Amino acid sequence: MPLLQVANLRKVYGEHTSVDGISFDIEAGKCVALLGPNGAGKTTTLRMLAGLLQPSSGLISFDGGSGVDYRSLLGYLPQSPAFYSWMSGQEYVVFAAKLCGISSSEAGRLAADALEHVGLKDVSRRKIAGYSGGMKQRLGLAQALVHRPRLLLLDEPVSALDPIGRREVMELLRGIREETTIIFSTHVLHDAEEICDDIILMNHGLIAEQGTLSRLRSQYSLPVIRLSTGMDEKALGWLQDLAHRSFVEQSVIYSGSATLNVSDMELARRTILQEAASLDISLLQFEAGSSTLEDLFMKVVGA
Amino acid sequence: MRKVWTLYHKEMLEALRSYKLIWVPVVFMILGIMQPLTTYYMPEILKASGNVPPGMLEGYEMPGAAVVMAQTLGQYGTIGMLILVLGVMNSLAGERSGGTIEMLMVKPVAPAAIVSAKWAAQLTTLIVALGLGVAGAAYYTEQLMGPLSWGRLCAGAGLYGLWLLCAVSLTLLFSAWLRGPAAAFLGLGSAAAMSLAHSLLPSQLGWTPAALTAQSAAIITEGRGGTWGPACSAGVLIVVCLAAASLLIRRNKLPD
Repeated sequence: MPLLQVANLRKVYGEHTSVDGISFDIEAGKCVALLGPNGAGKTTTLRMLAGLLQPSSGLISFDGGSGVDYRSLLGYLPQSPAFYSWMSGQEYVVFAAKLCGISSSEAGRLAADALEHVGLKDVSRRKIAGYSGGMKQRLGLAQALVHRPRLLLLDEPVSALDPIGRREVMELLRGIREETTIIFSTHVLHDAEEICDDIILMNHGLIAEQGTLSRLRSQYSLPVIRLSTGMDEKALGWLQDLAHRSFVEQSVIYSGSATLNVSDMELARRTILQEAASLDISLLQFEAGSSTLEDLFMKVVGA
Repeated sequence: MRKVWTLYHKEMLEALRSYKLIWVPVVFMILGIMQPLTTYYMPEILKASGNVPPGMLEGYEMPGAAVVMAQTLGQYGTIGMLILVLGVMNSLAGERSGGTIEMLMVKPVAPAAIVSAKWAAQLTTLIVALGLGVAGAAYYTEQLMGPLSWGRLCAGAGLYGLWLLCAVSLTLLFSAWLRGPAAAFLGLGSAAAMSLAHSLLPSQLGWTPAALTAQSAAIITEGRGGTWGPACSAGVLIVVCLAAASLLIRRNKLPD
């Protein structure tokens, strides 16, 4: 039984449809990336999952039950977390724990644990006003984790951070994913590849592709030949001609260089190299490889 | 209930750290003490200012202790209300525009708990400020003018406090869906509109919260308050404000 089931979730703001009927399941213990360009509907989706926004239609069921308030089992970190700057880090995490219904003494203990976990123990008595961006993000993680949630929703947890802060938060997530289920949104494919099992790729409010990272990788690692030639007329004509061979499934040809998705790599390589030699084409570059998720991402995003 | 207490504790901590819990009562005390002092020393002050026409001071009659206390409360109806409203205007609006409400709403907390904790914190500030202000004023009035009936004074101050609380609750309601300054403007405006309507049609609108100010003065000076109508309508108004504010923050759009 999946921990979270989402069926046909939609959110419409007047004329604008932000999320246009998405469905997915999330198994307990997984780490899922909600990937997509800015404006794809990732934040809206996460806010609906967090109960901050009422869906226009669709169903969210948590642990088999729909319509129940599961907020006490949820940890949520918004895109730009805002804290009470007059509080200390320690006070904020205790406050967050108490709001989840944890008694004062227990809250103090859990808060100390959470702060130590995210590496803020030494500065926990300082006012949040003096925290750096990375420290605030880690404090956000601490407040989301303090009540030991079953599901952690993180909205762009690393996008606003500098490389060092990003590294710190990614390392933390790597540890946290062993303990709980995580859904995090990002517009950076690399972040998703680094720690996730599953990817949900969104664009224009729709799911463009979803599945396990390994499946997507193998499915989208198609054999690809990239080659470039000199700019003489004979070579350019030959490139255009290549696009119509039987082993070429898809081709992009642009001023002397071509990217060919091929069905039979061996045949394609032999044919191209032999022809280049016999026709005396000024071949500058030849590469036989496979496409990456990056190519999939760019294709879906339509860039 | 424990969550309301947690939220209330946070509000009070903020009021303390921002010194609001100190400067609001201090202003109320200054306002309160000024009234008996300026009334008592008015002849002196006028004399010192020089060009007073002869004979004018002979007509000056020192008002009684109860009248001075009623005037003191009248001070709180203007400057005091302004200060309280300015203090409450950002309590919800600030959390909305600052984004802190997002992390509050995602916790298993009812919107009504957030609103009532904020309201209770404002009530605490109001009670401390009004209590200290009236106590200071009453002390000087007793020293300078003569004895006071403390029972009547407490009843009168309580009724006046209820009127101030109406303005605070209205501002809290507006703060749930408008920006802070707009909330303050509408909060003060609606209180002023109620006062104006009451003074234009006193007999028809004698049951509205705006009648509380006159009732409070009557209790202090004459010892009789009249009906429970204004107090009841004030209670209803406050409850409606809190309920509406809870609904509004639930529905409100979050910052992008």
